[in-house]
Amino acid sequence: MPKVVYVSALGDATMVVGQVGESVMAAAVRNGVPGIIGECGGNNSCATCHVWVRDEFTELVGKPGDLEDDLLDLGVSERRDSSRLSCQIVLTDALDGLTVDVPAEQP
Amino acid sequence: MLRAEINDLLTQTGPETPMGQLFRRYWQPVLLAEELPANDCPPVRVKILSERLLAFRDSAGRYGLIDEFCAHRGVSLWFGRNEEGGLRCPYHGWKYDVTGQAIEVPSEPETSNFCANVKLKSYPLVKRGGVFWAYLGDPAKQPPLPEWEFVTVPEGQTYTSKRLQECNWLQALEGGIDSSHVTFLHSGNLDSDPLFKGARGNAYNKGDLKPFFEVADYEGGLLIGARRNAEEGHYYWRVTPWVLPNFTMVPPRGDHPMHGHFWVPIDDEHCWVYSFDYHPTRNLTEDEIGAMQAGLGVHSANDANYRPLANKDNDYLIDREAQRRGETYSGVKGIAMQDASLQESMGPIVDRTKERLVATDAGIIKARQKLRKAALALAETGAEPVGNRPQDQKVRSVAIVLPADQAFIDGIGEAMVARPGVPQTSV
Repeated sequence: MPKVVYVSALGDATMVVGQVGESVMAAAVRNGVPGIIGECGGNNSCATCHVWVRDEFTELVGKPGDLEDDLLDLGVSERRDSSRLSCQIVLTDALDGLTVDVPAEQP
Repeated sequence: MLRAEINDLLTQTGPETPMGQLFRRYWQPVLLAEELPANDCPPVRVKILSERLLAFRDSAGRYGLIDEFCAHRGVSLWFGRNEEGGLRCPYHGWKYDVTGQAIEVPSEPETSNFCANVKLKSYPLVKRGGVFWAYLGDPAKQPPLPEWEFVTVPEGQTYTSKRLQECNWLQALEGGIDSSHVTFLHSGNLDSDPLFKGARGNAYNKGDLKPFFEVADYEGGLLIGARRNAEEGHYYWRVTPWVLPNFTMVPPRGDHPMHGHFWVPIDDEHCWVYSFDYHPTRNLTEDEIGAMQAGLGVHSANDANYRPLANKDNDYLIDREAQRRGETYSGVKGIAMQDASLQESMGPIVDRTKERLVATDAGIIKARQKLRKAALALAETGAEPVGNRPQDQKVRSVAIVLPADQAFIDGIGEAMVARPGVPQTSV
């Protein structure tokens, strides 16, 4: 059961116990983590689940896909190298302890 | 979900803007052939990409597209006299040729060389396939003449109309990319419009109201595939090409003529929609041309200035009873005005920071990104845009039934390539 830590813009950390196979967005929404909206339900089309992946996990998490990359370029408040849509990150045991920063605002 | 600065970038097409510079690397339709019907006919105002220009046809049949205003004191040359090889300003008689060069300033002494030093800005204007095309960019970068199939087929096989649309070009274009709305807004037209009805594909359209969309890259832009259920183990695919920056084609139905659009910015709050129909291998029939002239299919019934008769001043002649009966889904008649009414209702430039996109908008997202990247690459590094090369323009829409396990991009093969004398791929 991989744990995920979501850090808000104010620095508040929320830890959630996720399930292997669910997305980082779904784990957040299921547990009411503030700042992750997931309006489109994980369909890679609304960009309201944007997170910045902490450095130590960026390699493990990998790069955004094609459409996700476009959405990050066009929609989110601050695109960084570590930006991902959390609905496109699927939890595995290897991601236990994954820490992401949640932007102050989603699109 | 579009950031405000990107919305500005994509919607502003004036001379000094990045999108405006991108548009200035393409031949754009600016007039129908019928607008300059004869030598020395009246000049025509052409506003495009926020520039005010004037088109005229001189005594020798040469075409000119020049600054609308006289170099002397700024009078509109639309009032001018088109005579004896040039356009003469009616105020003090200054006369210009089709290149914008002043050839007479009558008040000056015979010995004066004054007019040799007066030249209005001018752009190349060529007639091709029933449409006048202009190129507003750097002469050194002028691309080959347009090679779209609708302008290269014989004259009897093609028909183009135009209409004013009172909103920014991008929200109009996005309607051409988004085939998801067809299921709703245009559902009443498939059986009634003579330019659509009777095709086998229409039944698939109506039988599956939740199409799945898949977007594929191709060199000139995008291919947007809409997948609906067909017979057991098969899908019906409708494939819409979008070519940068503003060309789209509608997937065909049966043996009906194929159609598509150019969405041409007039200024940031208006655009011209050029709507064409053509058949790759046969002449259009009298009935088909009659229907197009009557405003059916993708065309519209317009006044003498190409403003649709159904427009925002009369609420597009909405018929609530027809809406209630389901005859037309929105109550507005005709595909063109169904689209235009809703796109204009968004406001002159829709605020995309407030929109909420869904999975069927993938084509729109990818098109915006391609436009943005092309405009920025041109501005920052001078990168050559795509879509202005003949090979990008030899493209067709496709309607096809494929086995369920086949990707549409593999299944359509050569069907998306415009090949002279080869019929369209359509069901």
